[in-house]
Amino acid sequence: MNWLEAADEAAAQEQLYGLGCTDGLPVIVPTAPRVDRMVLASGLDRDLSLGTMGPAGGAATVEALAVAAVMAGCPDELMPVLCAATEAVLDPAFDLTEMQATTHCTAPLILISGPVVEALRFASGFGALGPGHRANATLGRALRLAMINIGGGRPGESDMALLGHPGKFTFCLAEAQDASPFPAFQESLGFTETDSVVTVIGAEAPQSLIFSASGNLADDEDGLLCVLAAGLAGPASNNAVLTGGQAVLVLNPDHATLLARAGYTRERLQAALHERCVVDGDRRALGSFRREGTRHAFRAPEDILVLVAGGSGLYSMAMPSWCAGPHQNRAVSRAIDLNPACALPF
Amino acid sequence: MALVTTLFEAQGRFVARAAGMSTVPQTLLPHPVAGTSAEAMAALADTLAPKLWARLLGIPAENAS
Repeated sequence: MNWLEAADEAAAQEQLYGLGCTDGLPVIVPTAPRVDRMVLASGLDRDLSLGTMGPAGGAATVEALAVAAVMAGCPDELMPVLCAATEAVLDPAFDLTEMQATTHCTAPLILISGPVVEALRFASGFGALGPGHRANATLGRALRLAMINIGGGRPGESDMALLGHPGKFTFCLAEAQDASPFPAFQESLGFTETDSVVTVIGAEAPQSLIFSASGNLADDEDGLLCVLAAGLAGPASNNAVLTGGQAVLVLNPDHATLLARAGYTRERLQAALHERCVVDGDRRALGSFRREGTRHAFRAPEDILVLVAGGSGLYSMAMPSWCAGPHQNRAVSRAIDLNPACALPF
Repeated sequence: MALVTTLFEAQGRFVARAAGMSTVPQTLLPHPVAGTSAEAMAALADTLAPKLWARLLGIPAENAS
């Protein structure tokens, strides 16, 4: 680790900004004592590398991640979650190096589920993707700062997003399991109800899907499915044009309850949406991506990740994926070790 | 030899530096390549192949075929 020197915190802020090490916002200066404390909170050896982060090819050591966590303002207890999220984005199936370089507006959406949501106070209800929620805000920011300072993703040089989206500052959401009629999100990914899990997916900004129930359950079931399918495979989205990717569907509790009353499990809902997300490959709007025949926007029902979050009301959300890269930018999940062998002097 | 579309010229140099191969030569392609038709790709390949062959062999392009 190459340590910098500065006369004081203000000078350090300017130095870090000048070196392109920040996201443009003020950071907590990563002094040695602060970084040391964050390393301890990980329960891991500071020199342990979780992998190589592209496109710069930097080693994602625990110490380097601790620097990012300090800069982002993470509470110490988030360090194991950041390590798990980093392991997830470094899985080759996630295509992080290519994702950092793409012209598309994609960012790692971090989904948190399981007991860790309550234990570390991740927001899952009203305005969960907005300001005011420290765990969500700082975890997403720390991963972004790692992608900048370890992975080398900087706009116009190595991060070629034409415009980007605000989730490139921070993009973290927890499942509102207590408001969900479905089993825990992580159970749909092969984990148990008691596992704490972080899932990452390269996603566009959330797109609002409005639906107001009429009271006729049969009509409402069909109407809501139409709205959700239209949002998941919007005609100009990568999901509809490139096809074969994934998407996140965040149901608000009212929409989820409506579907559950109509007999939908998560699996049945995924299957119904998969069937409805069909793309006419020969339409003019596909331009040079035009192909003969029709195609499913998603290869399999489980490529539509469904969870419940947010407040009750009219709006659910779709987060389409980038769905490019060698592995089509697959979602990746990792269990979180909430009891690392750390020795923090609390 | 790195094949890089024009938009990614700087990005290609960044990756080359990161990989310790800062002197690797680049050949620029028009951007974008993704989504172009098979015919357009074939035409591009026909145009570029002699130039690439010449650069790899270090001979004038007109002598490559």
